Amino acid sequence: MTTMNPQQCEVCPVNKDAKLVQLGLEAGNFDFVVALAGNPNVGKSTVFNSLTGLRQHTGNWPGKTVVRAEGAFSYDAKRYKLVDLPGTYSLLSTSTDEEVARDFILFGQPDVTVVVVDATRLERNLNLVLQVLEITEKAVVCLNLVDEAKRHGIVVEERVLMRDLGVPVIPTAARNNQGIPELLRAIAEVATGTFVCKPKRFPIESGALHKAIGKMTAKVQQAFPSLPNARWVALRLLEGDQRIVDAIRSGELGDLTRRSALEDSLTTGRKKKVYNEHSQAV
Amino acid sequence: MTPFETLLVGTLVLAICAIFAWPRKGLIARWRRAAERSARILVEDALKHLYDYEYRKIPSTLESLAGTLSISGDEAVKLISRLEGLRLVERRNLELRLTTGGRSYALRVIRLHRLWERYLADETNVREAEWHTEAELKEHAMTVDEANAIARKLGDPLYDPHGDPIPTVAGTLPSHQGIPLTSLKDNEVAAIVHVEDEPAAIYAQLVAVGLFPGMQVRMIGQSPDRVVFDAAGNEVILAPVVAANISVVMLPVEAVHEGPFLTLASLAIGERGMVTGLSPACRGTQRRRLMDLGVVPGTMIEAELRSPGGDPTAYRIRGATIALRQQQADLIYISEPTGTA
Amino acid sequence: MSTPKQSKHEQILSTANALRWEVGERLHDSTIESLYKEAERIAGRSVAVEGGRPRISFDRTLDRLVTSRVFGFPLMFLLLAIVFWITIEGANVPSRLLADFLVDFAHPFLKETGTSLGLPWWLNGFLFDGMYLAMAWVVSVMLPPMAIFFPLFTLLEDFGYLPRVAFNLDALFRRAGAHGKQALTMAMGYGCNAAAMISTRVIDSPRERLIAILTNNFALCNGRWPTQILVATIFIGALVPPHLAGAASALAVVGVVLIGIFFTFLVSWGLSRTVLRGEVSTFSLELPPYRPPRIWRTLYTSLIDRTAIVLWRAVIWAVPAGGVIWLVSNIHIGGESLAGLTIGFLDPVGILIGLNGVILLAYIIAIPANEIVIPTILMLTVLMTGSAEVGGGAGVMFELDSETATAAVLHAGGWTLLTGLNLMLFSLLHNPCSTTLYTIYKETGSARWTWVSALLPLAIAFIVCFFVAQIGRMAGMV
Repeated sequence: MTTMNPQQCEVCPVNKDAKLVQLGLEAGNFDFVVALAGNPNVGKSTVFNSLTGLRQHTGNWPGKTVVRAEGAFSYDAKRYKLVDLPGTYSLLSTSTDEEVARDFILFGQPDVTVVVVDATRLERNLNLVLQVLEITEKAVVCLNLVDEAKRHGIVVEERVLMRDLGVPVIPTAARNNQGIPELLRAIAEVATGTFVCKPKRFPIESGALHKAIGKMTAKVQQAFPSLPNARWVALRLLEGDQRIVDAIRSGELGDLTRRSALEDSLTTGRKKKVYNEHSQAV
Repeated sequence: MTPFETLLVGTLVLAICAIFAWPRKGLIARWRRAAERSARILVEDALKHLYDYEYRKIPSTLESLAGTLSISGDEAVKLISRLEGLRLVERRNLELRLTTGGRSYALRVIRLHRLWERYLADETNVREAEWHTEAELKEHAMTVDEANAIARKLGDPLYDPHGDPIPTVAGTLPSHQGIPLTSLKDNEVAAIVHVEDEPAAIYAQLVAVGLFPGMQVRMIGQSPDRVVFDAAGNEVILAPVVAANISVVMLPVEAVHEGPFLTLASLAIGERGMVTGLSPACRGTQRRRLMDLGVVPGTMIEAELRSPGGDPTAYRIRGATIALRQQQADLIYISEPTGTA
Repeated sequence: MSTPKQSKHEQILSTANALRWEVGERLHDSTIESLYKEAERIAGRSVAVEGGRPRISFDRTLDRLVTSRVFGFPLMFLLLAIVFWITIEGANVPSRLLADFLVDFAHPFLKETGTSLGLPWWLNGFLFDGMYLAMAWVVSVMLPPMAIFFPLFTLLEDFGYLPRVAFNLDALFRRAGAHGKQALTMAMGYGCNAAAMISTRVIDSPRERLIAILTNNFALCNGRWPTQILVATIFIGALVPPHLAGAASALAVVGVVLIGIFFTFLVSWGLSRTVLRGEVSTFSLELPPYRPPRIWRTLYTSLIDRTAIVLWRAVIWAVPAGGVIWLVSNIHIGGESLAGLTIGFLDPVGILIGLNGVILLAYIIAIPANEIVIPTILMLTVLMTGSAEVGGGAGVMFELDSETATAAVLHAGGWTLLTGLNLMLFSLLHNPCSTTLYTIYKETGSARWTWVSALLPLAIAFIVCFFVAQIGRMAGMV
């Protein structure tokens, strides 16, 4: 670890990290809730640890974090709650991990969802990124392990990626705390609405399905005009996802649209109620 | 007691315990099953029979009922009067008909049966030949709530593993699609949509040759005593009466899979192949997991390492090294491999 | 909720249901295919590889080596042997120091303090002879090996070697209906079964995970190693000439470990074909890229984590057990201590399976922690035989410095070679400790599986010991 004088850091304009205060497990009121998603074994827990100052075990082994872990940090005088979701390859299957991750991103309505991806295997990681962008608009992609990618001769042009995805893409090497200040700034910008994400949504290829999906999406859109992810809801309904069926029947989905509309009308800085339904999951 | 006598007594006690408590085959399990085979089962089986005939538009009679349930004529008469008393069945001359209540009861039992088959197929290691018999028992033992919970878990499936539609909670059921396999002309290509699971003897034959819904078939030739066709790369010969239990739909030209049905398991270390599809026998959780890992049509896969035991093999799939067992690799179709070894 | 709104919701759902029959079950496949196609397109635009192909040759070469037919297995056993050797050798000294401090120094000191404060004898005994001493045993026996074993294991894990072990061994486990990753949870179990239960999370298939949980008990944990070694030295080592005694008792312990592995496979096989037939089963095993482990950080975190677990466990489970041990040896009913009564009651059962009432009682009280089995047995044996020259009195657990002295106590208690043999088997096969059971309950969330994981090994232990006892007696071992 580097042993810089903290006083020097604070005056140093380059080191925006100085605004970061790691709060560990602290509870209380938070201005923003940030979800941390990603494939297994991409260094998600390392990112979690460098943001919160906690020491969650990070093994080189897929699927280490099974239970949702929570931590906190404060950046630029705002308090953030960070929720580490279980590592998953996808959000479409029915395993418990994926359900926990999916439900939190959808119903927990985090202010920002950070998707940690492995720069050495971008293609397979983008599968999850695209799925997350289907559900939520407020996302930041943390392009982790760039040091490892460099060693293997792989270069990712984050500007191109950013344009293609429509959300901020921040290259990091979390093991060495590289890129963490930039990541924090991106999180803050998306959370406060300074940066407005315009996520790309993937085209569905099959012609026959196209019509049915279009019809269903229109129906959902009509019922919940302010829902940001009508097509995704439509897809889930066509796949018979009972959790979403329940959410429609109970009006939970309708509440989501009302809440997000409400949030749009408010300026930042409000205290937020933290979604807690799944903290004892698994 | 001498140690020898103690040993004998101990062994005896153990053996008796095993005879009673052995899972599924012990006496306790058997007694339980026998107790479950009650009057209710007869009623439900009768309703299923009547519904089946109605669905296939064949009039059902006292004789057909007695035949299907393997009961005597007298018992069948008693059963029918009971069903009439419950207002589940009406008699019109010789023909038996379901009432509205009888029909919805029958659909409920069929829903439980098909859901359970789907569950066994998707989520368990129970062998294909046992799905139907297990479901025959389970359909009478399961409550509607349990069935709905299973449906939830499976994502409210539409079809059972034989290709039969599963009635919805509301009791709707679409009519059968497809034509008999035997109606295909030579060299026509179609996909299996349904494999009839009754009678058991014929179904066992179909399972033995490995036919299931979703499989691509190409008719090779028919004669009065045999039907020859190609099923996913294997030539199959069946008696016409057996082949008639398979329903197919014609495949549009662009959906026809050409070329050999090679699987990932055939790759030697260092060879690469492109995925062309996943076998329909790869179901449920297993199928979703493989697809999530990036095994989708168009993916280039290279065999990288073989375990010292010969199985599993590690494959390079979209940048990650993932080990799969041979039995899984056999379910992944690939194009002609290219060697880079 | 108003009625028109309800119907709007139901309308959506009925549209969905109608469309579902049209769409069929291809939707999931098409969605994933489209997703990957788009991911491929985007990645193709933003990723550039120097020199055309990524340089992965180091990983690949290393993989070829560690999974090769020739070097794969020897390398694996060598690494595991080194880990165990460092653990056993390294733990000796701190264990001794801790025992010296906590048992030999702090315990008398606390008792004296208690007396000088004017505590009644029963409270003093209950608190310090019972509760405190049990905790002291657990800490001194369990803490050092855990603090060495787990960081070493974690280093291998961080480097990325462990998934390769699972890859190498999967063929064996597949035949038993289990998952290759079970090899790792087993290895973890040689450290601590409770920690191994948590590690079964890496097995992502529910059925194989349950198998791993239910059979982990057959991996001899740190709390049971000392029992095995002591009993093997006293009873097996005595069978051969003195200069071979060390080797013979070591072989006996290795034999017990192998029997444990045999039962792991046997029970896995049996479970996967009977009660667990209907559980979900999938397989996939990712071999992650190798990464240099961050040694200091790993040592620090895993030391802190494990220490916390051991201490917590010592307090929660061992303290009450110590209290119970003291109480049963000091409460008298009609002139006989509660322990004596129970032992008299358990003796016939104990004899039937080649043990005795003392051992059974010790195991019943020591469900919370296997580490205190030997001290409890010694205390109870002395209590029963009434020999006053060793030990600290009723309810005071102790161990003896020399094996000869321990052997003398045990022989006085009527122990034979057969008793020793059966104790080794019983210690290997019997139910897991209560921390492990509690962890199983937390991990599976099912009381049913927790009961199975307690009763199944117990039944196996009784059956095996019963047969060994009878056959041993027929062969003339008394």
